[in-house]
Amino acid sequence: MKLDAKSPSGPIAGRWDRHKFEMKLVNPANKRKYTLIVVGTGLAGASAAASLGELGYNVLNFCIQDSPRRAHSIAAQGGINAAKNYQNDGDSVYRLFYDTVKGGDYRSRESNVYRLAQLSVNIIDQCVAQGVPFAREYGGLLDNRSFGGAQVSRTFYARGQTGQQLLLGAYQSLMRQVHEKTVTLFPRREMLDLVLVDGKARGIIVRNLTNGKIERYAGDAVILATGGYGTAYYLSTNAVNANVTAAWRAHKRGALFANPCYTQIHPTCIPVSGEHQSKLTLMSESLRNDGRVWVPKKKGDARPPAQIPEAERDYYLERKYPSFGNLVPRDVASRNAKQVCDEGRGVGDSRLSVYLDFTDAIKRLGVDEVKEKYGNLFHMYKKITDEDAYRVPMRIYPAIHYTMGGLWVDYNLMSNVPGLHVLGEANFSDHGANRLGASALMQGLADGYFVIPYTIGHYLASSPLPKVTTDHDAFKQAADNAQQGINRLLAVKGHRGIREIHRELGRILWDDVGMARTEASLKRALAAIPGLRDEFWHSVSVPGSPDNLNQSLEYAGRVADYLEFAELLAFDALDRRESCGGHFREESQTPDGEALRDDANFTYVAAWEFKGVGRQPELHKEPLEFEEVHPTQRSYK
Amino acid sequence: MPSRPRSLDSSIGTKLLVGFTGFLLFLYLILHIGGNVMVFLGPDTFNGYSDLLLSNPLIIPIEIGLVMIFLVHIYKTVAMTLDNRRARPVKYARKKSAGAPSRKSVASSTMIVSGLWLLLFIVIHVRTFKFGPEYETASGVRDLYRLEMENFSDPITVVFYLISMLVVGSHLWHGASSALQSLGIDSQTWTPRILLSGKVAAVLIAGGFIVITVWAFSQGART
Amino acid sequence: MRLTLKIWRQAGPNVAGRLVVYAADHVSPDMSFLEMLDVVNEGLIKKGEDAIAFDSDCREGICGMCGLVVNGIPHGPDRGTTVCQLHMRRFKDGDTITIEPWRAKAFPVVKDLVVDRSAFDRIIAAGGYVSVNCGGAPDGNAIPISKDVSELAMDSAACIGCGACVAACKNASAHLFMSAKISHLALLPQGQVERARRVVQMVTQADAEGFGSCSNEGECEAVCPKEIPISNIARMTREYLRAVVRI
Repeated sequence: MKLDAKSPSGPIAGRWDRHKFEMKLVNPANKRKYTLIVVGTGLAGASAAASLGELGYNVLNFCIQDSPRRAHSIAAQGGINAAKNYQNDGDSVYRLFYDTVKGGDYRSRESNVYRLAQLSVNIIDQCVAQGVPFAREYGGLLDNRSFGGAQVSRTFYARGQTGQQLLLGAYQSLMRQVHEKTVTLFPRREMLDLVLVDGKARGIIVRNLTNGKIERYAGDAVILATGGYGTAYYLSTNAVNANVTAAWRAHKRGALFANPCYTQIHPTCIPVSGEHQSKLTLMSESLRNDGRVWVPKKKGDARPPAQIPEAERDYYLERKYPSFGNLVPRDVASRNAKQVCDEGRGVGDSRLSVYLDFTDAIKRLGVDEVKEKYGNLFHMYKKITDEDAYRVPMRIYPAIHYTMGGLWVDYNLMSNVPGLHVLGEANFSDHGANRLGASALMQGLADGYFVIPYTIGHYLASSPLPKVTTDHDAFKQAADNAQQGINRLLAVKGHRGIREIHRELGRILWDDVGMARTEASLKRALAAIPGLRDEFWHSVSVPGSPDNLNQSLEYAGRVADYLEFAELLAFDALDRRESCGGHFREESQTPDGEALRDDANFTYVAAWEFKGVGRQPELHKEPLEFEEVHPTQRSYK
Repeated sequence: MPSRPRSLDSSIGTKLLVGFTGFLLFLYLILHIGGNVMVFLGPDTFNGYSDLLLSNPLIIPIEIGLVMIFLVHIYKTVAMTLDNRRARPVKYARKKSAGAPSRKSVASSTMIVSGLWLLLFIVIHVRTFKFGPEYETASGVRDLYRLEMENFSDPITVVFYLISMLVVGSHLWHGASSALQSLGIDSQTWTPRILLSGKVAAVLIAGGFIVITVWAFSQGART
Repeated sequence: MRLTLKIWRQAGPNVAGRLVVYAADHVSPDMSFLEMLDVVNEGLIKKGEDAIAFDSDCREGICGMCGLVVNGIPHGPDRGTTVCQLHMRRFKDGDTITIEPWRAKAFPVVKDLVVDRSAFDRIIAAGGYVSVNCGGAPDGNAIPISKDVSELAMDSAACIGCGACVAACKNASAHLFMSAKISHLALLPQGQVERARRVVQMVTQADAEGFGSCSNEGECEAVCPKEIPISNIARMTREYLRAVVRI
């Protein structure tokens, strides 16, 4: 299979404009004759469904929650980047592009990233027009802050709820289209299969989660915006219902899965408190602006933090990275936390956390100023841990937060399956091996508001799409297949809890395919996963019936997919024998322990083709070319 | 878009009407007690004042207006209560107030009960006084002072009135300030003051009527 | 901790439900309320019994999907907290906890503790937006907005649409929910064009959904996880009055 990224050539700044001009258009009167299926209502899905509805397409929009407003984009705290240069501090489209390519550790496609940086500007305008209450300065203009170690202030925010406000803006636009009857909403539906007719994506099979009915929907193109796969790790900062099912089922129908090993781990999460824990809570990275990270110098030092004298503390980030200190990028901070815990110097009951200490900040700024800056975070921390971070240091530990990998797409956001488009976190495209802070919201909205409305038209206008109804054999076969999958889960009637098996899978991935990976650990994971999968299919208990709301059944289906997907994740990590971005292979590091890329051998996108459960997937490479930004070694010393 | 009369049927239109009529009735009560305290000044002043009111040619339209306000307030609140009950067909097995800043109180939870009691009370009250025996004073005006003293010499009437005045107090405890909130009147500075004033007014009005009733009873007991 | 749970079980929308008693042993004070239910469910699942259905998603208090009436209070006893952020250390060993779904005609029970809140979506669809198509927006800084106004709009925009306000209200009224969106957009210059139309259409829709009226008790504000004040409802009334007068 030859992967054609359809990446335009020529001067990078003019590529998207020229591409837009070269794409075919659909006549306004013909748009309503096309039915588009959009799965997911997060930033990417909601913005896509709304803007396609505005154009006049007949849109069918699906989500697993009770309302489109629940999608997990809502939980993003920090902000959204845009190259507005409102602060006159030297930002530009080119700089945002450059930072994103570099931040992605030179594993993303330049054309895509440049377009993303260009569109970032339009996103802010669109959101302001929708009434998104971004933070403002006293003069009434939009406020910005610097985020995630960026050298310019380009992050727009709405308190600590930027994701919520952007999502509600997109949701409101979507509901407006629902009112206009261009979009039909299907909440509480889970996509179980992709239907291909003559090799093109022409529909989906969903389970109506309320009454258990298997439903078929046909259309002219399918757009997946179903998010990432962070919950493969069981504990993550993702929503508990987040899953890979839609993307995985599309993968099993032929869509290539790219770079699954690129996972992002966020350093400032509230540590795990026990077996029962269902998810991890992220605290804004901004805490590292004033908090100091440390652990005791001595192994197993169980004294309370206040009794450990200054001389016996190791402020390891400040020690190892004197110029960036506590503000090193996410992956570096996370890896170092793991390292000190592995050395036995972790703190807390579990020994799996490090201190984030505000004593000096409180001395310097006073309690009031610290409270003003971080009050809500300290409050949240107290609520979850019952500890007062004004008096004792916070404890933090890294957690899975975002996944850069996803279904492979070309420049038009179309997968290798004609008609199947993938947006937002569900695709692999713009962040390379590591995503910069405040860039996820930007990508989701760019894809939905400003890319897919153009590229979908080109696809529709340039492909013959004979009418297909849900009576077609392909629909019948896919619906039967979905029903059989459900019957199979219910038929196991074992004795083990679904959560228990998911937790076990999470532990395998976290330990062996987590922050630091080795050939041995990855092989260990690859040996363990099929066994766990067998265990699942022999001993899982899925009670209840298929014909009503059955959350155990939903969950079991998602875990079953993760048990297949996890193997691909580990496989990709094993195959990529270099370190880059969020993927750290211990075999590939600089003498001082930094991630070491192997540009000569690995400057490509690894796109995997499904060959059957438990079978080795086939690798297809999309070579990456860097004409503008030349790969260099990252250094934060 | 709905036309104006339909707008008054909406949940907010209902609120506006109930709040507006409620507030007017509250103002009327203030006037009422203002007149009633004249009873302390003796029969002549009291009867003179009531004659001044009764002989005013505007009294009939004002009374009709008052009746209309009452009817709208009653109709709207009863209809609203029935609608509101329909909005929750299955009750909670266990329900309790979440506490501050909620303004929920026994008074606020029993507005329909206190309101219906007051409807009964008003019917009796109007029959007793407006359509009661027509005593005349020596100067030829209606002797309402005597009527009041006679009525409040009966312990059963007094107990009924005292209970009813507590009910008025309860209705106003929530209703007085709530009427203004229903009209959309709200500000960070003024809302706490309005809430407090509503309660103070409830206590003063109910207390005032109670004092008058008890005083009248004690007068009767002395003679 | 050992707890006794009385949980509302209802097999489907049109069948009768009842409170069923469950014992929850080995409850750790560090668990969130929903994690405690997860553990109870894990026990039921292992026994092959149908798990207790309840909604949740982000489990960090922002998606608005979770919502249980805990001992008579929506989202439980902690102020400004969704039930997913409520922790078991708030309870004592030996406590009996009653858990019920949101109850309102407009929020029919789907199963057990899960209700259908699509009425909220229809209220937003009736007018809770600024009608701008994607593409033609002016520069983000074209209209300056005072920081105070922007902050006030953000206070209202913080609503997570969980429906606790309806659940707490003795009239099952959606006024706080509606007023939060109406306030958010009425305060901003972008919302001015459709200001009158929006409030009338949203109120009309809410009434048609079967929500009750407002008695100014403020239970909604007291249970709101985002502590949205009822001053929003007063503002909505003013908006409505203004709209009706202008029609």
